Order: sequence, then C-alpha cells, then structure tokens
Amino acid sequence: MISELVSKLRTGELSPDEYVGRTFDKILKAEKNIRSFITLESQDEVLHQVKASLKRGGRLAGVLIAIKDNISTKGIRTTCASKMLENYIPPYDATVVSRLKEQGAVILGKTNMDEFAMGSTTETSYFGPTRNPWDLERTPGGSSGGSGSALAAGLVEIALGSDTGGSIRTPASFTSTFGLKPSYGTVSRYGLVAYANSLEQIGPMARNSKDLSILFSVIAGTDPRDSTTIDYSPPNIVDPIPVKGIKVGILKDLMDASETGVSSVIRGYLDKMSSEGAVIEETTLGIMDYVLPTYYIIAMSEASSNLARYDGIRYGYNSGTEGNWKEVYSKTRGEGFGKEVKRRILLGSFILSAGYYEQFYIRALKARRLIKDSLEKLFSKYDILISPTTPILPPKIGEVIDDPVKMYAMDVGTVTANLAAVPALSIPAGFYNNLPVGVQLMGRYLSDTFLMGISMFMEDVTGIKDMTAPL
Amino acid sequence: MKVEVNEELMKKLEKLALISLSDQERVEFMRDLSKILDFFNAIDRVNLEGVEPMFHPVPGSRLRSDSIQPSLKREEALLNVPKKKDGFIIGPSTIGG
Repeated sequence: MISELVSKLRTGELSPDEYVGRTFDKILKAEKNIRSFITLESQDEVLHQVKASLKRGGRLAGVLIAIKDNISTKGIRTTCASKMLENYIPPYDATVVSRLKEQGAVILGKTNMDEFAMGSTTETSYFGPTRNPWDLERTPGGSSGGSGSALAAGLVEIALGSDTGGSIRTPASFTSTFGLKPSYGTVSRYGLVAYANSLEQIGPMARNSKDLSILFSVIAGTDPRDSTTIDYSPPNIVDPIPVKGIKVGILKDLMDASETGVSSVIRGYLDKMSSEGAVIEETTLGIMDYVLPTYYIIAMSEASSNLARYDGIRYGYNSGTEGNWKEVYSKTRGEGFGKEVKRRILLGSFILSAGYYEQFYIRALKARRLIKDSLEKLFSKYDILISPTTPILPPKIGEVIDDPVKMYAMDVGTVTANLAAVPALSIPAGFYNNLPVGVQLMGRYLSDTFLMGISMFMEDVTGIKDMTAPL
Repeated sequence: MKVEVNEELMKKLEKLALISLSDQERVEFMRDLSKILDFFNAIDRVNLEGVEPMFHPVPGSRLRSDSIQPSLKREEALLNVPKKKDGFIIGPSTIGG
C-alpha cells in the first residue's frame, strides 16, 4: 500500500537507499525474464530524486512509479515502442506527469507497450515483447503490458497506462492487477501521444483498489491544456462501498462468448457478491455483433489522421533518403512504422477515402450512438454491469499475433466502455489453471469512484490483492 | 458491400497514407485488409436509419482565454529535429512529386 510506504519513508522506518536498492535488485532479477521497461532511469538518479522528493513532501512523496512509454516525460526518452520515436526525448511533461511530480512521485522508468498502443498483447513493440510474470510463455496483455507486468512482478506499486479499447484492463486482467479506464474527459490527454483521441484515456494501474483510487485522484481533474477535459475534481479519498442492495447486471452475451475457465471464475466472483447481498440478474448487451467493427473502424480512422504527423522532419526516425517530400515521407514512414501500425494507417486511409467514408466511417459513428444508447438503457436498470474483462486466458506469445481478426476479438468485452465514454475497471477475480482471470465492472458516466469503492469492498471479501508472481 | 482488395487499391492506399511498402508487405497486407474489411461488414447488418452520427463521446468543449501563454524555447522545440541548420529545420524539396 502506498500510504504505508509513504509513511515508512517519511518516518525513516524505510530509508531511500533501502527502498531504491531493493527495487533495483528486484528489477535486475525480473527484467531479464519479463522486459517490462523500455527505458529505466539510473539507480543513482532515482535515489537522488527520492531523497529530494521526501524533503518536498506530497501525497506520493518518494513513491516510484512506472509510466507507459506513450506518455511524455520531459528529458526521458518516450518511444511509443516504435522505431519511429526510438530516440525521441520530449521537451515537456504530460499533465498527468506534472501532477504526479507535484505530489512527489518519482519516475522509475518507461514501460513497454504495443507500438503506438496498437495491439492487445505487447507483442507489436519494436523493442520486443513483454512476458507475463505469471507464465513467461504467455503475454501480459496489451497495450499497457509493460505496466501490468511491472506491477505483477512487484517492481512498483503504481503505474500509468492508457486505454483506447481495453489497453489498461486487458493487462490488468492477465496479470492479476487493478486497472481503471476512466470516464472520458476526467483525465487530461495533454502529453499522451495520440492514437485514437475520441476513445483513449490515460488511467491508473495498481496492485490494490486503494492505491488505484489514490493514483486516480492525483492524475484526474480539469486541465486548461486539454479542451476535452470536463469540469471535474476527483475526491481525495475513496471508501469501500458494501454491495448489499447494489443492482448488478451480468452481461450474458459476453459470458457466453468466453472460455469456460474464464466464465467459471467470474461465476465464482459473482457468487461472492451475491452472498454479500448484491442483487444479480442476467442481461444482454445486444450489440455484440457490431461493437468490434464499430470500434476498429473509428480507431483506425483516427489513427490514420493522428499518425500523419510522423514525417521524420521535425522529430523521429528519418530514412535519410533524398528526393521530393512525398518520396521522403513515404520511405521514412514505410521504414519507421511496424506492421500493425502500417496496417491500421492503411485501413484508416481507406475508410476515410472518397466513396467509402459514408459506408464505413459514418455508419460506425451512427452505430456508436446506438451502442451508447443501449448502455444507457441498461444503466437505468443496473448500478453496474459485470463481465469477464477478456474472453480468453492470457494467450501464449505468438498465438494471436499473426491473425489480426483473432487479436481484435480479444477486445470484445472492453471496447464498449471506450465507445460510450463510461468508466470500466478490471479487478482480479481469481485464477484458472494458475492463470489470472479479471472481472470487469462497468458503470455510468462519472461513476469512477463508485466502481473503485465496490472494488475495494470486494477485495476484502475475496482477499485477492497485492499479488506478486513467483519469478 | 464486398470490397475487392487488389494491387491497384494497395498502391492507391500507399499514396494516400504516404507509406511505401515492400513487395512482400503489399502481398501480406492485401490478404489482411481483405479479411479485416470482411469483418467490418458486420455493421452493414445494423439498421441505422434515422440515427445521427456521434462524432465525439462527450459533447461540447471548453476554450481557454485568448491570452499569451509561455511556450517552448526555440532550442527546446528543435531538440529532436534530425536535420537542422542555424535554428531552422531542413526539409525535403516541396517542388515536384
């Protein structure tokens, strides 16, 4: 728990040397197997920062944090796991990073991810895949897989991820950690390297609900630098919310679409909720057939537009080719982007091109409205909606990467929240064959702290928190 | 509506996206794009009559006051430029092509 950690550091019960030394010892042991970091700060620098932070104080004074490598950190390389930005050093901090620093957090390093956050397994990284600490043959999920993996290995207590269609929740689910995709507009995207701006949010990842809620309260809130943030101030403290009388809708269509091992663990979790007095009913989303196409059409369209800025002229990889601008840009982009990124940009360009814009893009935006309406109807009946975070157990490395449609299908349970802007939280529900299974709690717009309060209560019921994989 | 993904379309997309592909990539992406576009066709089966497109999930946005804010210094802004001279960025020729 970070509150205990801060207290120990403040009282001197834990010295900065011991804290930092112990962390780097763990990293030395774990990183050769899991590779959760792309860039790690030096031990001396981290120690210096922790000592300086403890003098200044703050809610996170001296606490080490891992940051996904698509969030800008002044003076620390920010690569988006791409050859395109391999040597890019931002001259400014993302708003969330400034807020973390104001509260005393110290950046330990930048975590591995799918290239430009495009993927669900952290295998599309230019720097190679991250492995799941619970089973090194398997992926930790993606795209915030490095953050999930660092948490599960106990290298840090808190981390930041970003979630465009499940990129925080999938790794949280696969690594037995906690991850929140916040309500759209509650957390500033200033300094987040944009992929699909109408869908993505930076969000907290942690090893228990309390830490998750503290991290959220530090990073969330209105930002004058991001006009898509809403007028919002998060509460500093979230308390457990007993589930007695809470109306829970189980999304049957997502349960039915999941592997037996996954759904059986979720049913066990629901039984525990029920014995605590939650009112549980089966319901259906009813939008399953078109939720994935809708999401991917919008995400790819926005990606093709957002990634147009990478030309190798102002920053990033440059092929060194001579010629006119079209030849230079095309060569640079052909060499600098990886396969999945190119695939999505090409598809996005196609979808937005004359003749197909109405057929794909506009239809997807209409379908998005239906999805939002359909969720709102469900939220008039239920306080929360529950489903497996992912329909499958963590896949083995290489198992889904060569089949894009198979990889996209992993996101069936998570994309709805991004399309509808509502919050969704993945929390550990248990294990099946020694592999983690996550349960997703989805709530009404701006019910983020309510979801975390429920999670906090249930965490005491199940006893599943602060899990560290035996590496 | 079934879209035929052929070499001609791929070359058009390379031009639109400003991404040059190798011959091998072109063949591979032709197969992938065809498969993914078939998967996208599921939205053809939804009745969307009378539904307004939703361009943004949270309507409305705020504007900040029109006042001068601090900005990056020139050397900071040019920190990551691969080719530069005397505080300027060297770009490719924009004539022709």
